[in-house]
Amino acid sequence: MIKYIVRRLILAIPVLFGVSIISFIIISAAPGDFLDVLRMNPAVGEATIKALERQFGLDKSPIVQYFLWLKEVLKGNFGYSFQFRRPVFELIWGRLGATLLLTITTMIFQWTIGVALGIFSALKRYTWTDQVLTVIAFIGISIPNFFFALLFLYFAAKTGWFPIGGIISKNFDQMNAFQKFLDYLYHVFGPMLTLGTAGLAGIMRQMRGQMLDQMNQDFVMFARAKGMPEKVVIFKHTLRNAINPLVTMFGYQISSLLGGAVLTETVFGWPGMGRLIIQALLAQDLYLVMASLLLSSLMLIIGNLIADILLAWVDPRIRYRFM
Amino acid sequence: MNEKKNVNDINKNIDELFEVEYLSRWRLILRAFKRHRLGTVSFWILVVFYLLAIFADFLSPYNPYEQSLTTRFAAPTKVRWTYKGKFVGPYVFPIMGYRDPVTYERYYVDASEIAYVKGQDSNGKSFEVEVGKNDVEKIVLMVEKREKAIGEKGEILLKRSSSEKNMIAINEAELIKNGITRFYDSNEDTIKIYTRNPMHSYKLKRVGNVKQILIERILKSLMIIKKDNNVEIIDSPKIEDFDFKIYRIKFFIRSWHYKLLWLIPTDVHFFGVDEPAKLYLFGSDKYGRDVWTRVLFGSRISLSIGFVGIAITFVLGLFLGGISGYFGGWIDEGMMRVTEVLMSIPSFYLLISLRAILPMDLPSTTTYFMLVVILSFIGWPGMSRVIRGMVLSIKQMEFVDAARAMGFPAGRIIWRHILPNTATYVIVAATLSIPGYILGEAGLSFLGLGIREPQSSWGLMLAQAQDITVLQHYPWLLIPGAFLFAAVLTFNLLGDALRDAFDPRSLGQ
Repeated sequence: MIKYIVRRLILAIPVLFGVSIISFIIISAAPGDFLDVLRMNPAVGEATIKALERQFGLDKSPIVQYFLWLKEVLKGNFGYSFQFRRPVFELIWGRLGATLLLTITTMIFQWTIGVALGIFSALKRYTWTDQVLTVIAFIGISIPNFFFALLFLYFAAKTGWFPIGGIISKNFDQMNAFQKFLDYLYHVFGPMLTLGTAGLAGIMRQMRGQMLDQMNQDFVMFARAKGMPEKVVIFKHTLRNAINPLVTMFGYQISSLLGGAVLTETVFGWPGMGRLIIQALLAQDLYLVMASLLLSSLMLIIGNLIADILLAWVDPRIRYRFM
Repeated sequence: MNEKKNVNDINKNIDELFEVEYLSRWRLILRAFKRHRLGTVSFWILVVFYLLAIFADFLSPYNPYEQSLTTRFAAPTKVRWTYKGKFVGPYVFPIMGYRDPVTYERYYVDASEIAYVKGQDSNGKSFEVEVGKNDVEKIVLMVEKREKAIGEKGEILLKRSSSEKNMIAINEAELIKNGITRFYDSNEDTIKIYTRNPMHSYKLKRVGNVKQILIERILKSLMIIKKDNNVEIIDSPKIEDFDFKIYRIKFFIRSWHYKLLWLIPTDVHFFGVDEPAKLYLFGSDKYGRDVWTRVLFGSRISLSIGFVGIAITFVLGLFLGGISGYFGGWIDEGMMRVTEVLMSIPSFYLLISLRAILPMDLPSTTTYFMLVVILSFIGWPGMSRVIRGMVLSIKQMEFVDAARAMGFPAGRIIWRHILPNTATYVIVAATLSIPGYILGEAGLSFLGLGIREPQSSWGLMLAQAQDITVLQHYPWLLIPGAFLFAAVLTFNLLGDALRDAFDPRSLGQ
C-alpha cells in the first residue's frame, strides 16, 4: 500500500510542475502588470517604478522570472502580494482554511446523504418515493449553484432563520467549543447546501444505478438462494460492489466543488480562496494568482490521490494489480 | 372484454415486430426517443426557448439597452382584465413613483389620468366631461393637502398645501368619489418627524402630546384643459361617476427599430402599451430596463454559447483524441500529459485565470467569442481522452485493418472509418455538456468577468441580485436564474433521453 502511495506521489510532481508552468504562462500573457496603476499616477516618479520593477524582478525575461519564483517556492516562499503588501503564503493560509473547511463539510454532507438516498431509492425502486427522489435529483443536478445560493439568501433574509453571510458570529470568541461548532454549522449550512446539492444529486443517481445493476447480478440471486438474510445481501454483497465506481467520482467532485466554491463564496461572503483569486486576478497580483492556482491544483491532486487510495482500499482487485 | 384486450395486445406486438424488423436504425432511435416522455417535452421546451431567442426583438416591447430612470426596480406590471366589474380585455395602468416619508423606501403605485367625469358643481349644475370630446384634452384635479396633529387637547392644522394632480393613484379613487380622504398615522417615527420640526413646535404646544398625525386630502376643484389652452374650472364639485384612463395592451405595436432575423429592418413588436404606461412582464431592473426583454436578449447569448462552444470542443477533441489514439507513441504520450496537467487545475479556476489574460474592456462581440474559446479550451482535455480511448478500441477492429490494407492514408481512416463510430457517444456527450458551457458563461458573467453591461446575459442579470437589500425588495430580479435553471434542466433531460434512445437495447433489436 505504501509503495503505491509513494508511486502516486512521485507521479504528481511533474503534473504540479506543469501546472506551475501553465499558470505562469497565463499570468505573463495577461496585458500589463500591477505597476500600471502606479505608472498612471503622476505622483510616482520614474525612479520609484524602476526600483519596484527591480525588486519584483519584472525587468527580467519571463523565463528568468519563472525560475526565480520556482526557486523561492521550493524554499517555501510563495512570494509577496503586491496588492495586499503581505507575503502570499500568509494571505493564502487563512483563506485556504476557510475553503477547505467549506469543501470538506460539503463533501461529508453530499457523500453521506447522497449515498444513503441512493441506496434507499434503489431499494424502493419504481415506487413513488423513488420517483420523487429522481425528480429532486434532476432538479439538484440542474440548478446553477449561484442561483440556488441567491434563492437561499432570499429565503434566509425573509425568514431570518439563517445568517446571510460570513463564517462565524460576532461573539465567536466567547463561546465554548461546542457552541463554536454549532455556530459554524449554523453559518455553513447555506453555503454547504447550495454548493453540495448538485454533487449530492449526482452521487445519488450514480449510487442508485449501481445498486440496481448489482442487484440484478447472479451472485445476488445466489446469495438469496442460499437463504442469506436480505440485510446481508444488500449491505455486504451488493453495496460493496456498487460503491467502487462511486469512489472514482470522488476526484471529479473535488474539481467541481472547488470551482463551485468560487461562486458560493462570492454570494455568501465566505472568506475563502475563491474570492481571493478573483481579487488577485482583477488586480493582476502575479504571485498571489500563481500560488492560488497551484494550491487549488494541489488540493485537486491530493483529492484524486485519496480517491485512488480509497479505491484500492475498497477494491482488492485494484489493490493487488498495483502492488 | 378480456379477449378483446388480448387481440389488441397481439396486434400491438405484431406492429412492434414489424417495426423492429423493417424500420431503419435512425427511425428506431426516433421511436425510442418518442417513448421517453420527459425527453420529448424537454425537446419542445428547448424549441420554444430557441424561438424566443431568435425572435427576441420582435417579442420584446422595449429596447434592451434603453434606461428609464423613473421606473427603476418596478415590480412586474399587473395586467388587468376587468374594469368596474366588466370584462374589457387586457390593460394596464401607468405606475407612479412614491417615496415613503418615514422609511424613505421607494415604491410604485398604479396611477392613471381621469378620462371621464360626471357630477354637479357647487351651484348644483350638472356637468359631464370626457377627454377627447368637445376639445377636452385633460382633466386635472386641484387637491389640497392638510397635515394635522391630533394631541391630547384636540387637533391642530400644521400645514396646508395644494397641488395639481394629473395622475391619480388607483387606490385613491375615494378622493374623487367623496371629495376627501383621511389618513391617520400613529407611527412614532412619523410623529417625530412633525414634532421635531421647529416650524411646528409653537403650534404643537397647544395640543399637548401628539398622538396621531392626520393627513387630509380634499378635492378643491376640477381643471378642464381644452384645446388652445382654454381652461375651465369647476369649483368644489360633487362627483357622481368617473373613469380612469386605461392603457390597453396592443398587439403588433410600432416602437423601437430593429432588424427582424438580423435582416429585415422594422419597428413592429408583438405587444406593448402606449406611454406613459409601461408593460414590464417581469418587472424592471436597476436602470429601469425591462427584465423580460433582457431575459430574451440574454437567452441569445446563453443558448448559443453552448452550441458554438461544443462545436469547437468537439472538433478539437475529435482531432487531438483521434490522432493520439490512432498513432500512439510519443504523440499520444505528450498529449495525454498535457491533458493531465490541464485537468489537474480546477476547471473554474482555470476558466477565470484564462479570462484574466484578456483585457476587461473588449467590445461585446469579441468578449463573446473569447468566452467561447476559453470555455472550449477547458473542455477539450476530457473530451479528447474519451475519444482516444474509443479510438484505441476501434483501431483493433477488422474493418480498420481492411482500410489500412487498402492503402488509405491515416487521415482518411481516422475521419471516415474510426470517428463516425463514435457518433452516438459524441451526440449524447454534446447534449450533456452544453449545460456546462451555459453555466460557465453565466458564472463568469455573474462574477463580472464575462459579458458586461449594457449587454445582457442571464448570469449578468443575476449579478444585480447579489446585493442583499436589492434581493429582498426586488425578488423578480431572480427570474433570469429560473430561465438558466430551465435551460440546464431541459438539456440534461434531453441528453438523458438521447442516451437511452441510442442505447441498442432500447431499439428492440
